[in-house]
Amino acid sequence: MAQKRTTAVSMGLLVPGMLCVLVFGGSLASIALLSLRPGRLTDSGIGLNQYIRFFSDPHYLLYVWRSFKVSLYGTLLTLCFGYPVAYLMARAGLHTRVLLTVLLVVQFFTSYIVRAYALMLVLGNNGLINRALLKVGLIHSPLPLIYNEAGVAIGLVMVSLPFMVFPIYSVLNGIARRLEEAAESLGAGEWQVFWNVTFPLSLPGVAAGVIIVFLFQLTSFIVPGLLGGGYYDMVANFIYDQALGVMNVPFASAVSMVMLAITLVLVVGLNKLFQRGLKDVSS
Amino acid sequence: MFQAKRGIPSRGYLHKAFWTVGLLVIVAMMVPLVVVLIISFNPGNELVFPPKGISLRWYQNIFKHPVFISSFQFTMALGVASTLVSLVIGLSGALVLTRRKFKGAEVISSLLMSPLVVPQVVIGMSFLSLFSMMHVYQSLPSLFALHIVLTLPYTLRVFIANLSRCPVSCEEVAMVLGAGKYRAFAETTLPMIKPGIAAASIFSFVTSFDNITASQFLIWDRTTLPIEIYAYITKENDPTVAAVSGILILLTTGLVLAMERWVGLETVTG
Repeated sequence: MAQKRTTAVSMGLLVPGMLCVLVFGGSLASIALLSLRPGRLTDSGIGLNQYIRFFSDPHYLLYVWRSFKVSLYGTLLTLCFGYPVAYLMARAGLHTRVLLTVLLVVQFFTSYIVRAYALMLVLGNNGLINRALLKVGLIHSPLPLIYNEAGVAIGLVMVSLPFMVFPIYSVLNGIARRLEEAAESLGAGEWQVFWNVTFPLSLPGVAAGVIIVFLFQLTSFIVPGLLGGGYYDMVANFIYDQALGVMNVPFASAVSMVMLAITLVLVVGLNKLFQRGLKDVSS
Repeated sequence: MFQAKRGIPSRGYLHKAFWTVGLLVIVAMMVPLVVVLIISFNPGNELVFPPKGISLRWYQNIFKHPVFISSFQFTMALGVASTLVSLVIGLSGALVLTRRKFKGAEVISSLLMSPLVVPQVVIGMSFLSLFSMMHVYQSLPSLFALHIVLTLPYTLRVFIANLSRCPVSCEEVAMVLGAGKYRAFAETTLPMIKPGIAAASIFSFVTSFDNITASQFLIWDRTTLPIEIYAYITKENDPTVAAVSGILILLTTGLVLAMERWVGLETVTG
């Protein structure tokens, strides 16, 4: 009966949303089509030439390898640095918590481009870190902290920290303190409480954070573009160069399809993996 | 009182280690933004830290680059317009998805959310090819469509969360009392989801304003501010960008403080 009354909401309201889905799906279909052009954009015919070209040249696969490498350890580092921040926020008193939340949300909402540029100013040859180290006398020539892999890795970790902190914080915040206190009163030490109670309970947040951050880093464009300065391009930079630099749209479309396939497999795979892992923990 | 004291004795090395690392990470995150602000007030030409004085020279210099001003206006307009459209589409979609049970609801909702999992560069590439196939070469129609598609998942998600917490019964009561269905919605549900509307608008606007990776495929005669900044850093790189960044950092901080006061930041942190 209740169902009947709520039909005041018409299915027609879904039409604009479905129109967006249609445009989005259509656009993906259009690069799927273009990726099958055997030669240049104006050529006709259908073939897998673009994909064969991509997979048979180690130079091209290098971009995929790089992206995976840097975002694998980048995600791990983001987790190691992000978890304590989330813990701090969840366990802080009211005022500290508000302050920390404001600082993190400011980070979260500040443009990537501004944050990446800010990191360039800190990490560059004339930047804060190198100037300080030179002044103290720890080094005699500036450390190469940008325009290489290190710069990209540092940039990715710093920029994606809020994506890791928020989901973990949200879960930590919801864990009843009584559980930890119960473990303590039963004689568990600090480490035991953390490893056997707090950490396992926070795993859903960790899983969410890891998936978001890994995908974000794997597909990032701005950080490798600025902090890599062209010396450490990742897949996204390669696609952009192929599409608008070299104007090889069919090849760029093929690489885009490969990237799309990788991301979708990862999203589904990681979700399944973590769901199974979480079940094991809870049983 | 008892509980507060109860927790303290167990705070040993692990707790201290978490606090130390956590605070260091937060400081490390804030330092670059502070450095940008300081450098933007630096009178000299080179990007040095600490600065040798205070001047507004680089802020004045922004006006010598009219492209920063015009792209800022364009980005604002694009952000506001796509947010308005995205709010309407998101709210109407969320109403159907939360209030009507039907087969395929889950599929539709994941389709609507799908732009979140597709890499930005792929989205940009695919919009470029779709709109070129349709022979649309100006940036405005394609950018507008792109930004609606990009922001829709955020507005939809916020509204679904909001509406599922807000009972239909209020609306039904209003209708029993004689209000039409539109008036019942406008006077019961709409006021209840006001914080949701604010949160959805902010998420949507920031997402649109900030987008470079997908948007850069579609710029033609007009560009957005972040894309201009990106180009400027890779070409000229003087502290004018620090001044532009300084303004953006201050605007963002103002927005976050306003949000903390009137909407609450839980919508961001979860």
